[in-house]
Amino acid sequence: MISCTDFIWVYSELFKFLEARGGEAKVIEFWRGISDEFLTNLREYVAEDGLKGMFRYWSHTLGEEGGRHHMTLYDDMFVIDMHDCPSAKKIFRDGRVEPYPKYCEHCRWLYPPLLEEFGYEVDYHVLDCEKGACRLTVRKPPGVMTPDDKAQ
Amino acid sequence: MVDDGQKPSVHKDFHGALSFGLAFVESQYGEEGMAEFLESLADSVYAPLVRDIRAGGLAALEEYWRKVFEWEEGDVDIALEDGVLTLAVNRCPAIAHMKEYGYAIAPHFCEHTRIVNEAICRAAGYAASVEYDQDAGRCTQTFRRAEA
Repeated sequence: MISCTDFIWVYSELFKFLEARGGEAKVIEFWRGISDEFLTNLREYVAEDGLKGMFRYWSHTLGEEGGRHHMTLYDDMFVIDMHDCPSAKKIFRDGRVEPYPKYCEHCRWLYPPLLEEFGYEVDYHVLDCEKGACRLTVRKPPGVMTPDDKAQ
Repeated sequence: MVDDGQKPSVHKDFHGALSFGLAFVESQYGEEGMAEFLESLADSVYAPLVRDIRAGGLAALEEYWRKVFEWEEGDVDIALEDGVLTLAVNRCPAIAHMKEYGYAIAPHFCEHTRIVNEAICRAAGYAASVEYDQDAGRCTQTFRRAEA
């Protein structure tokens, strides 16, 4: 069994394997597959509870993964400020594997497309990949129906 | 190998992500491609474990597995007797978590245990075998020094 404690390194190695076999397009195809087919729990949280669902989802996952971050939930906006991403730390600072240079790009393909399906505007900015700093900003546009309208 | 005195972060949803990844690789490159990817991990992710086994033998591997199953809260009986390390996994934490949370389990998910174990042991001068029941989430893994 590959332990979940080893997974992040395996994940990075998988990106490298896919890129060597099928180019960057194959890696992106894989990331899109995760977004479309694997992240069903995030999809359910958002469908049920909108921005609050995002807060609940990432409270659970980031709580288990560790790292240092700050989440902000407004009535019409949800923001994750990642100061010290636990995955990036393993990849870029532990020295256990040769890092996949575009490792942080996976979040750009996993999360914004999924959240945009629900009507949100999403910005994802990698501030410093090797230091594990990024920001995800999700906005509910004025006049656009989102799950938040149902949840109220 | 990862003993810094602290328990690492345990996020079991990663088992589901691994399962999705293995299914994707198999769908694109077949079982052969999946095996090639998994075998390569012995030279990268598991290179520190290979070094530990070379230096400390099966006792080092036993220590590794005891920690993993403690962190993962798996139900396992581990014994090192007469030059054979045996893991009787009564409740695989990966299969149990994926079943509990409804993650799709890749058709050949448990093959990864056989392939990775064999690759690590081959690199360290040992041999591994596994008998598993994926549906039941049980397996028996054995490790011994490779015959010269």
